[in-house]
Amino acid sequence: MRTLDPQSLTQHVDRLYRAAWALCGSREDAEDLVQETFTRVLARPRVLSGEHELYYLMRVLRNTFLTSRRTASRRPVTVATLEDVLVADPRSLGQPEQALEMQEVYTTIATLPEDRRLALVAVDVLGLSYREAARALRVREATITTRLFRARKQVARELADAPEARQPQTQAAPREETRTTGVLPSRGTP
Amino acid sequence: MTERTTQQIDDEQQKVAELLRSFDTPAPESLHRRVESLVAARQGPRFTRRDGRPRPFSARLRLAGVGVMAAAVVAGVIAVGLSGGSPALSMGQAAAPTLRAATFPAPPESEAHHAQLAAAVDGVPFPYWEDRFGWRSTGTRSDRIEGHMVTTVFYANSSGRRIGYAILAGSPAPRIGGGVIAWRRGVPYRLLSKNGTSTVTWLRDGHLCVLSGHGVSGTTLLRLASWA
Repeated sequence: MRTLDPQSLTQHVDRLYRAAWALCGSREDAEDLVQETFTRVLARPRVLSGEHELYYLMRVLRNTFLTSRRTASRRPVTVATLEDVLVADPRSLGQPEQALEMQEVYTTIATLPEDRRLALVAVDVLGLSYREAARALRVREATITTRLFRARKQVARELADAPEARQPQTQAAPREETRTTGVLPSRGTP
Repeated sequence: MTERTTQQIDDEQQKVAELLRSFDTPAPESLHRRVESLVAARQGPRFTRRDGRPRPFSARLRLAGVGVMAAAVVAGVIAVGLSGGSPALSMGQAAAPTLRAATFPAPPESEAHHAQLAAAVDGVPFPYWEDRFGWRSTGTRSDRIEGHMVTTVFYANSSGRRIGYAILAGSPAPRIGGGVIAWRRGVPYRLLSKNGTSTVTWLRDGHLCVLSGHGVSGTTLLRLASWA
């Protein structure tokens, strides 16, 4: 058991931002999500039972993301004006080509079903192990394997713009080893 | 119909994984600064001991007896009192300097940055709004609130409306209470309108900023405040 050191969290901002971007599909929403995640984590002292900080952050990010989606319909909608778009922080475009590619890939990921999206983000974007991802997302490891497989397959097809991309899943995907398909079980934030 | 081989499927999976792992675009600097501000705020007296070490986690406190909890509360109060931590300010207190008269001339536009004035507090510059929004700087003044030096720049528009933009020196910034929160590009702005006076407060690089004016809408102030 150890107390989470707030200072150590700052090293994860970049990775968490990319994870949030992939979840939301938009840089602006990603910034809000990351900030809200850190606000929640830092609201009070936290204790980690031997886990990696990134795993813990993914858990909070996932909870915050799901909560924000549930409450989004109850909040007033902010419409971005042209001015908002023009003055958006240009410093994040330090690598414009990669940023454009990321935008395309992350926009594709954002169209995935929520459970697959979270699995893909946890493992491939955030770099968690299957075991850590399973614990962070509160599902079994085998479920992560299945969702990840399907998510990668869907992303590959969408990016390749194959006509069969929108066809139903083939038998190539392993059987989903969970009874909680669709929406993940939602619990309070840790 | 062509049957895809296991190898092709594996390759496809690998390619997607490698593509996603190759991205290393950093988060915007503004987001880094906001997170650092949050961390700095959480390392204040409420969360740390006077020697700077983190407080024991709350589960231990819950397991401790009532006497230990009471002692911890008393110790916390003493720590806050001795360390001169940042107390809460009301929106009215924060806005007070912005509603007073200017005592010094207006700062000119910065020669290096056309969106800024040649005036700053701890490196946080005041904005230049004349070309973009028609608000020209008209004067400045200095005050002290709860131990923080406050520099205010006043602006006026062609309609004769006047607003004050104050930046409090020192970090962490005092906590602000009251008003409602409005988010603009990931930044929370606290907005209060009362008796015809609107006030917006927010953080820039960990410094409390206050924009307030009589007869000016909260929407206008929010638009000005969130322009960067």
